[in-house]
Amino acid sequence: MIFLTVGTQFPFDRLVRAVDSVLDEGLIDEEVFAQIGETSYKPHNFESVASLEKRLFDKRLKEASAMIGHAGMGTITLALENGKPLLVMPRLKKYREVVNDHQLAIARKFEAYGHVLVAYHEKDLPDKAGQLKGFVPTKRRTQVEEVARRVSTFLDGLCESGQNLPGKGNC
Amino acid sequence: MAGSANKLRICLAASSGGHLTELLTLSDCWRQHEVFYVTTVPVTGGALRKSGAVYVVGECNRQHPMRVLRVFWRCLKVIFKERPEVVISTGAAAGCMVCFLARALGAKIIWIDSITNIAGLFLVQWPELAAKYRRVEYVGTVI
Repeated sequence: MIFLTVGTQFPFDRLVRAVDSVLDEGLIDEEVFAQIGETSYKPHNFESVASLEKRLFDKRLKEASAMIGHAGMGTITLALENGKPLLVMPRLKKYREVVNDHQLAIARKFEAYGHVLVAYHEKDLPDKAGQLKGFVPTKRRTQVEEVARRVSTFLDGLCESGQNLPGKGNC
Repeated sequence: MAGSANKLRICLAASSGGHLTELLTLSDCWRQHEVFYVTTVPVTGGALRKSGAVYVVGECNRQHPMRVLRVFWRCLKVIFKERPEVVISTGAAAGCMVCFLARALGAKIIWIDSITNIAGLFLVQWPELAAKYRRVEYVGTVI
């Protein structure tokens, strides 16, 4: 099963419609299940729901052989953490799918690192969807410990200096 | 309020989805402190409630000014009620509002990965950005 997820805040008709037409043309031979948020286009080739509870979302994610989604960091992270091949299509400001083009920037960066496949346009989708099955995402290395340490040092500093914090500020 | 010694009252503010995921990677930092959460949709609240109160203020963006006002009003109520000493936020709009409101009441701000200049500690997740702005640090990525 391919899990299609487009986030829940804004509609993303362009992607849901594009996936539906890829199925029309028989270019994906797997079943698709989708979380489509406020998207008004209703796909006819696969089952879709507006939103899934976290537990059910995780279950679908585990079952999926691959994912297609918008280029949101939440989606990208989930795919990488679960080792799922992910094809993203960035939401674009010019179509009012998002407030700025940060998804485009994220898509370019993460594509360059080999973390995701990207369809920048609907017409790229059939080709990229074909590559999805054989795509092995590069593992991402993060520095959570370093960032956490820096934040902790700052908090400790506040406690020690007893800077004039609101409330009692009595560290 | 800020009861025992060595405890800060920390507001953790992040929109549901990627913003919240990023923030929660840093959970170890506030284990010893007293926390509450501000987020944007109810479904994300569940597991968070174990560690602190969860306030759901709703989604908003610049295209819907009325929603922005409604979310701003809800943030205002939360901040006046809870009076955090520190806000840690990864954005987006609601997180930013919480930072400004809490800052106005004297809280210290830790802003991770976006652009406001009110933060006491400002961390970005691309080295290019840290090179471009003063007082902005890159120490690595969380996601």
